[in-house]
Amino acid sequence: MQNDNEFKFGITIPKINSLFDDVEHKILSPLSCLREFDNHWMLEFDLPMVNKKDIQITFDENTVNVEAKLKEKYSEEKLGNVTKFEHFKKSILLPGKIDNKKTSAKFQKGRLEIKIPKKLIGHSVKIV
Amino acid sequence: MKIVKPNTKENTLLVGFPSNGLVGTFSISYLIHHLNMKQIGEIEMPGLPPTLFVDDGDILSPIRAYNKNNIFVIISDVPFSLDLLDDFALAVHEFCKKNAIKKIVIVSGMETINQNEHGSKIYGLITHSILDGLLYNNHIPKFLHGSIFGADAAILSIFRKTDIPALVLYAECHPFFPDPEASINAIVTVAKILDVDIDTHDIKNKIDKLRIQYRNLMDETLRTLQSQEPKTRVPPIYR
Repeated sequence: MQNDNEFKFGITIPKINSLFDDVEHKILSPLSCLREFDNHWMLEFDLPMVNKKDIQITFDENTVNVEAKLKEKYSEEKLGNVTKFEHFKKSILLPGKIDNKKTSAKFQKGRLEIKIPKKLIGHSVKIV
Repeated sequence: MKIVKPNTKENTLLVGFPSNGLVGTFSISYLIHHLNMKQIGEIEMPGLPPTLFVDDGDILSPIRAYNKNNIFVIISDVPFSLDLLDDFALAVHEFCKKNAIKKIVIVSGMETINQNEHGSKIYGLITHSILDGLLYNNHIPKFLHGSIFGADAAILSIFRKTDIPALVLYAECHPFFPDPEASINAIVTVAKILDVDIDTHDIKNKIDKLRIQYRNLMDETLRTLQSQEPKTRVPPIYR
């Protein structure tokens, strides 16, 4: 039940929904960021209302997929239509190949950090 | 815009707008609610694309002014693109002159990659040494080195040349995600400065939902901040 005196933010969601939530399948698109370092990428997802055990991370050659079940349904109302979201899901295409054997992840305070070593492919050049 | 007569206490203006971690908007919005402030006007900026928000049937301008006793607030629900920064700063200055404001406090976020596990810190940046005591009395360390850009830099650029001192409170926050926890620190610090009691229980209960609810605003704010960022390299403290 809504308490009239309950704090409610007056901020309004911007008109462009750039995160592409999937209303039909009740899937939210989480915020994420990718930072590049010399030997690895650090990929971070904001996953509030999620338990560690309910997160699935999969990847192929250069894509990381994250899916997480919400602890409870999250309701959002737009133009009178209420959608109850149940999951977060997002795929991130990395700019290079992943060394999947050394990939590691940690989850703290609802933030998932995935450290992804780069697959270094190259040949040495002899200096003459 | 309605002009409210100055109170016996010094008139103080709080300013919040979407920036790193959405610290400014979360904090100022919460203070407006908890201090039961009343809207006294809207800030009109000719360059702003025509935008109105509808909340429970009420039509709202994206930049609004509130007041209670000697506390005034300007809050923006939209981030400012580069071409609007000076107009916003000038509008804030105009508001101060009309309302006999004696100091302004801007609440913002300072992006921090490796946040302290024991919570984020707050730093203060002041335009006039008269506010040194305010920092000292409230145990706010000074922001000593670094670069700033965006709306807070635009406001400081104007106020440092006037006789109205300005303080920017920078709460360490996540660089890319909404950070209601950092906002709670900012709320507590502002409450100390204003010498008012603010119960942060409500926002603590809503941290997770706020992080989901404001993903899109965070996303738009980041795009705007990136467009404001100077092309030259700046020292790592703020980046």
